[in-house]
Amino acid sequence: MQAALPSSARPNVALYASVARLGFRRQFAYPQAALWGLITNLFFGVLRIAVLVALFGSKPQVAGLTVQDAITYTGLTQAFIMALSLFGWTDLMRTVHRGEVASDLLRPHDLLYWWAAQDAGRAVGQFVLRGLPMLTLFALVWGATFPAGATGWLLTTLSLLLAWACGFAFRFLVNCAAFWSPDAVGIGRFAWAVLGLGSGFLMPLAFFPQWFQTVLAFTPFPSMMNTTVEVWLGVKTGPEAWAAVAVQVGWALLLFALAASVLSRGLRRLEVAGG
Amino acid sequence: MITVQNLKKTFRVRRGGLLRGSSVVMEAVRDVSFSVGRGEIVGYLGPNGAGKSTTIKVLTGLLVPDSGQVTVGGLVPWKDRRAHVARLGAVFGQRTTLWWDLPVHESLELLRHVYRVPEARFRQNLRDFTELLELGPFLNTPARALSLGQRMRADLAAALLHDPELLFLDEPTVGLDVVAKERIREFVRHVNATREVTVLLTTHDLGDVERLARRVMIIDHGSLLYDGALASLQARYGSPRELVVDYEAAPTDPQVPGLTLLGADGPRVRYGFTGAAATPIARVTAHAPVRDIAVKEPEIEATIRRIYEGGLLRDAALLKR
Amino acid sequence: MDKSSISRPGQREGLFSSAVYHLHLYFLLLRAQARSQAVYRLSFALDAVGSALITLAEFAAFALVIPRFGTLSGWTLGEVALLYGLAELAFVLMDLLFGGFDAPNLSGHVRSGSFNTFLLRPAPLRLQIFGSDFALRRITRVFLAAGILAYGVSASGIVWTPEAAFLLAGSVLGMIAFFGGLFVIGGTLTFWTVESVEAMNVLTYGGRTLISYPMDIYGQFLRKTFTYLLPAAFLSYFPVLHVLGRPLPDGLPLLAAYLSPLVGPLMLAAAFAFWSVGVRHYGGTGT
Repeated sequence: MQAALPSSARPNVALYASVARLGFRRQFAYPQAALWGLITNLFFGVLRIAVLVALFGSKPQVAGLTVQDAITYTGLTQAFIMALSLFGWTDLMRTVHRGEVASDLLRPHDLLYWWAAQDAGRAVGQFVLRGLPMLTLFALVWGATFPAGATGWLLTTLSLLLAWACGFAFRFLVNCAAFWSPDAVGIGRFAWAVLGLGSGFLMPLAFFPQWFQTVLAFTPFPSMMNTTVEVWLGVKTGPEAWAAVAVQVGWALLLFALAASVLSRGLRRLEVAGG
Repeated sequence: MITVQNLKKTFRVRRGGLLRGSSVVMEAVRDVSFSVGRGEIVGYLGPNGAGKSTTIKVLTGLLVPDSGQVTVGGLVPWKDRRAHVARLGAVFGQRTTLWWDLPVHESLELLRHVYRVPEARFRQNLRDFTELLELGPFLNTPARALSLGQRMRADLAAALLHDPELLFLDEPTVGLDVVAKERIREFVRHVNATREVTVLLTTHDLGDVERLARRVMIIDHGSLLYDGALASLQARYGSPRELVVDYEAAPTDPQVPGLTLLGADGPRVRYGFTGAAATPIARVTAHAPVRDIAVKEPEIEATIRRIYEGGLLRDAALLKR
Repeated sequence: MDKSSISRPGQREGLFSSAVYHLHLYFLLLRAQARSQAVYRLSFALDAVGSALITLAEFAAFALVIPRFGTLSGWTLGEVALLYGLAELAFVLMDLLFGGFDAPNLSGHVRSGSFNTFLLRPAPLRLQIFGSDFALRRITRVFLAAGILAYGVSASGIVWTPEAAFLLAGSVLGMIAFFGGLFVIGGTLTFWTVESVEAMNVLTYGGRTLISYPMDIYGQFLRKTFTYLLPAAFLSYFPVLHVLGRPLPDGLPLLAAYLSPLVGPLMLAAAFAFWSVGVRHYGGTGT
């Protein structure tokens, strides 16, 4: 991996910025598909809210969340589906299987940064295209809880960026399976199912039994979305919130380091196997 | 076998977006008529988008024309689809009809059931084709693992197992090497001769046409420009033959009476002429001392390219009306 | 040459022998699909387990949180499992049967030209589509759904009578036909435009998720829409209400609980009528 960029001691910021810009713009190529996607997300959001509201019944609060919190939770998760690729992401494994990654190697950039820049652009694009309209609609129809004060917004923004970073590094790692196996798509299916359950996409993690939450606390999955939503809702505030964000930073660093090392092994394997 | 009268087919082509776009009517085929007799091999030529594949789609029953009468073996293709296609075989060079992950013989076995070929007849045909096309070495190989030439041979066998009366071949030799091309042409000739299979051949490879078809039809811009013998196409529309002369020294005046000067490069001068070569050669040798002479025949490819590009026949077709 | 011995379709033949031939051909096509998929063993195994995992995660998420709340507006986990298992079982069986009509698969066939190949073969077009995308890997989801359903049946304490069996079996059959019809409609739409696919997803996958939970949890608008406009409530919700000994909503007569085996096939018949229009349109335009 490092062998692929002999000259660049410093990352080429301008290059990655333009890659990100391109990733951002590409999202707006199919507005009609985006609109239908939005409607689908909204419809499923309605169903999920109905289930949660029915679960609450007349209880004012469960596991520290009110009905309004639960509705906001659903709105946020539905809004983040595309931006955080909660249903999975297979772009990298496709380029590996098609052999296109070999030509990527000839260019003087770091593959991990390059994909990260592109995915960051894609995520922002999807957030603007699908996330913001969804949040607005949810807030208008059902009302929503918003982060409290400047600190709340700052923490939430930080946490959202970190959720993307953790999620991206995890998805990248899963995609690296393509260097070893032609069946990476099948392996991915496992990963995305676990991601859906563990990140709190299917149900707020706070509602799960204590033992399950304890198990999940040892994994990076809550950092990929649940933490952000809890910070947004103010379930975690003050030092507790900063600690949660610190945990996210830790996972992001660890996952990125892991991704870089696995990628370099994968590329070495690719060179040995000759593509 | 095939009769086509005043075939016409237009398409609505949408331009621009769904809301503000307008649709344009495009005439894919306008007033085409021809007939093909049993046992003929006809080359059907034309540039991309000329109306070739629209005609084929109508003949195979995939497309319903706007107007015109079409019968194939007495049936209207798009009216009685299943009875019609039971008598057809088709090979499309670009894609296979075999099951991608199944061994070839299993695909053929499946097609036996689809076409309801009696067991004995199937065995007989499979034996024949295995021998003629040398399928033996790869009958147990899945289609995805075949080379292009092997795949084409397997597809040919698949198209003929049910003893079709009419065979459509679309680019049957595309991408193959010379030997493989020749093998396929030989096979098509054989089944045409021994089984009386009528063949309609669309191709960009004029080698296929020259080796297989005595008759060609040329379509462009939706109209039939030429329908007749390949030989007379060449005689009537072929470019002139070419005489390449190497003089002992560059002639001061390369012009020779009765010959068209095509170009001069030092001692090498090229002339165009028609008819026999004896007189032009005599004239050239009388003109100046000659070291070497060669006669270059015009290629059918060049002829047809000239027809497409120059619209040479379009005027003739217009005059005929 | 002995051409006359090859029987041509369209020839007179008994209804019975024709049905046997077509059924045989269908199974041959399915077997070809299954054999093709078995070539990629590891990929097949991963897909098989992976596709069940998504359903499992979704149901597990629900099952894990319900102890905190007690019930879903009066429905126990077992009772919800009944609805969820019925919907999932029917949907996955439908997916196995109607996979060829699913919009992405069908538009794939049209784009790759294999749809034309079907048209060039003397077998019924619909039979060939039915036999074109048999995703055997979904079999694991059949078992999972059956397991969830079995749990629902035992945990909800249904009195096992012939009538209950009839209602539940009819519910599954009705749903297979109903969602099969939606697949056929979605596939047919791709003859005109592929942009409609996402819109159909709201109905098919959205509809399936909708009826996986008791419909009284939804607002009036949603509930009435999916009862009277798109009769999804008749498929499993009403039969299950009756099996559990609960009254039907809106003062509907008991008869409404028995209509699933009628509603589904009606939808399917309408869908195939639309399909014929689509195929005719295809014949007018080609690709």
